[in-house]
Amino acid sequence: MSGCYSYDGSLAGLLTLYARLLPERADVERISATLLEQQGLFNSEICIATDQAVAEAFWQRLTKRLSGNSLKLLRRCLLADHPQQELLIYNYLLLEADQGRRIDGMLAHPAVAPIWKLSQQVGREAHRYLGFIRFQQLQGGLYYASIAPDHRILLLIGAHFAERFSDQQWVIHDQRHGEGILYDAEKKEWLLLPMEVTARPDVTPEEAQFQALWRSYFATLAIPERTNLKLQQGKVPFKARIFLTEFGGV
Amino acid sequence: MATDLMDRLKILADGAKYDVSCSSSGSSRANSNGGVGSAASCGICHTWTSDGRCVSLLKILMTNRCIYDCAYCINRRSNDVQRVALSPAEVAELTIGFYRRNYIEGLFLSTGVVRSADYTMELLIQAVRTLREQYRFNGYIHLKLVPGADPQLVQQAGLWADRVSVNLELPTRESLALLAPDKTRDSVVGPMRQVSSLIVTNRAERKQSRKVPRFAPAGQSTQLIVGATGESDRQIVTLSEQLYQRLDLKRVYYSAFIPTVTDSRLPARPEAPLRREHRLYQADWLLRYYGFSAHELLDEASPNLDSELDPKTGWALRHLELFPLEINRASYEELLRVPGIGVRSAQRIIRARRQGHLGIDDLASLGVVMKRARYFITARGRYAGESGLESSALRSRLVDGPKQKRPVQLSLALEQPSVDETASLITGEL
Repeated sequence: MSGCYSYDGSLAGLLTLYARLLPERADVERISATLLEQQGLFNSEICIATDQAVAEAFWQRLTKRLSGNSLKLLRRCLLADHPQQELLIYNYLLLEADQGRRIDGMLAHPAVAPIWKLSQQVGREAHRYLGFIRFQQLQGGLYYASIAPDHRILLLIGAHFAERFSDQQWVIHDQRHGEGILYDAEKKEWLLLPMEVTARPDVTPEEAQFQALWRSYFATLAIPERTNLKLQQGKVPFKARIFLTEFGGV
Repeated sequence: MATDLMDRLKILADGAKYDVSCSSSGSSRANSNGGVGSAASCGICHTWTSDGRCVSLLKILMTNRCIYDCAYCINRRSNDVQRVALSPAEVAELTIGFYRRNYIEGLFLSTGVVRSADYTMELLIQAVRTLREQYRFNGYIHLKLVPGADPQLVQQAGLWADRVSVNLELPTRESLALLAPDKTRDSVVGPMRQVSSLIVTNRAERKQSRKVPRFAPAGQSTQLIVGATGESDRQIVTLSEQLYQRLDLKRVYYSAFIPTVTDSRLPARPEAPLRREHRLYQADWLLRYYGFSAHELLDEASPNLDSELDPKTGWALRHLELFPLEINRASYEELLRVPGIGVRSAQRIIRARRQGHLGIDDLASLGVVMKRARYFITARGRYAGESGLESSALRSRLVDGPKQKRPVQLSLALEQPSVDETASLITGEL
């Protein structure tokens, strides 16, 4: 078997695909996520149907086999939003099937280096968003924040905010990927849910005051003699600024 | 909350912004008893200002009134600025308001000195105590110690805060006497010594029993102003080394002197102050993470850091006899001393070479900066620099980087005027 494969875009679908292809050491050229309704008759892609049980069993085996470190790499890469991540992960797992835990040290191998790089990108973005979340207090006491990160980092930052703001109700909404985390302060639990904005959030009067205070505070902080806009742009890219209060964002 | 609060916040932030300490790292404080906040040991930056500095903590003064008259300070007694203050309750309320919106990682509280050192220190402690007790705030707090404050107050401060600091500001006793005549070196170094020994004792006590409360878990830091007085880099780096070794400081910050007030005792704006500051930070990192000592980086013959080269490359150029280094055999300590190899890449080289010898091409994917490292290493005996170590051009290559070939338009030589002709066209001579 060689060629192009597709799955339904879900995590279970992808894991099923790996579970089917890895034992055969299949030679894969491309893996794409194709939604069911887009699957046509004349497709050259081989479509792998999702099987929840197969996916779960595969994941179980994988978590036992892999070292903590490669599991961490893999988790992050699964959350990445990269055109080729499925194939990169496949190549990595293929090498792992051959080499076992020796793969941990094969940092310069062409199947490992890109996985490490991608996982770094995801990890770095997740860390940056620990700082870039801006909550707004809504009528009714909910704290709401929206973001549009490159990768699906919510699962990587949820625990941090659940600990830090354990006594406040909050939502972090990833507008780009259409999902969000909802934290319940009563039960001390958080959930990842599909999410959409339906209306402009209705903020409290106190919220507007704090935003004004923060903006004016931020404006005084820079030392004019040291101005370095290029450095600032490297640290706070424009795409992040639209959600940052101090840059005039929501 | 009225505009009045906004104005005061502005003035007090303006007075505190020249303190460069920014980090929120080194302390991991769990969210306890249903309060708000936690401290992440890695530190988190929340935003960056237009000068490229990060904002992690709400950095403010309690008040900008001050009984001292230090020449370099914007809040000096004789400077004509509006004087305002925040109450401990206001500080706490602002901190919590910002914190709950995730604007900040915690509070950095400094102050001018009012009435006496002890009175001022008590005010600071009161604000921090309100936060910790009343709001059950578990976020990061960096508290300034007032020079000359009572040792008992210093001890209390460390129990409420994650990090405490006193700014040395001027590297030598003489400079301090010149620019800050009201402060003595001992009133600054005294609290630093005390904190250092309290941290050591606390560490030992906590080994006996985990119930002993933490004292300044994120340690202490200090700041040196660079360029306001005539000290050499060698004096500054040697001082930092001593501070790290003897007083176990977590950080020494360097602040390039930028005049905010005019004073006959102060120099005019020094040349390229930010470049110098940058080089000092690089040297500082070499001291803390790369196993260098101050006398290796600077000596009597060259008392100042090279502004064109980073200090590690400068050191390597003075010790060419140690290079090139075979990366498949070099120890971790040796790898760390290669320009272009950092802590991460050295660790990755060590891990990766257990699985087989590394070639030159593998290094870039391990994170090595080959632009600099290529001249100082071999891999499987192969050397990748365009010119050898003996080459006299090595220094200039490291300063400018390898020469890039610019694309040139292809055309017939006949169509191009020769150099002489162009020259004559300009001068008008034929």
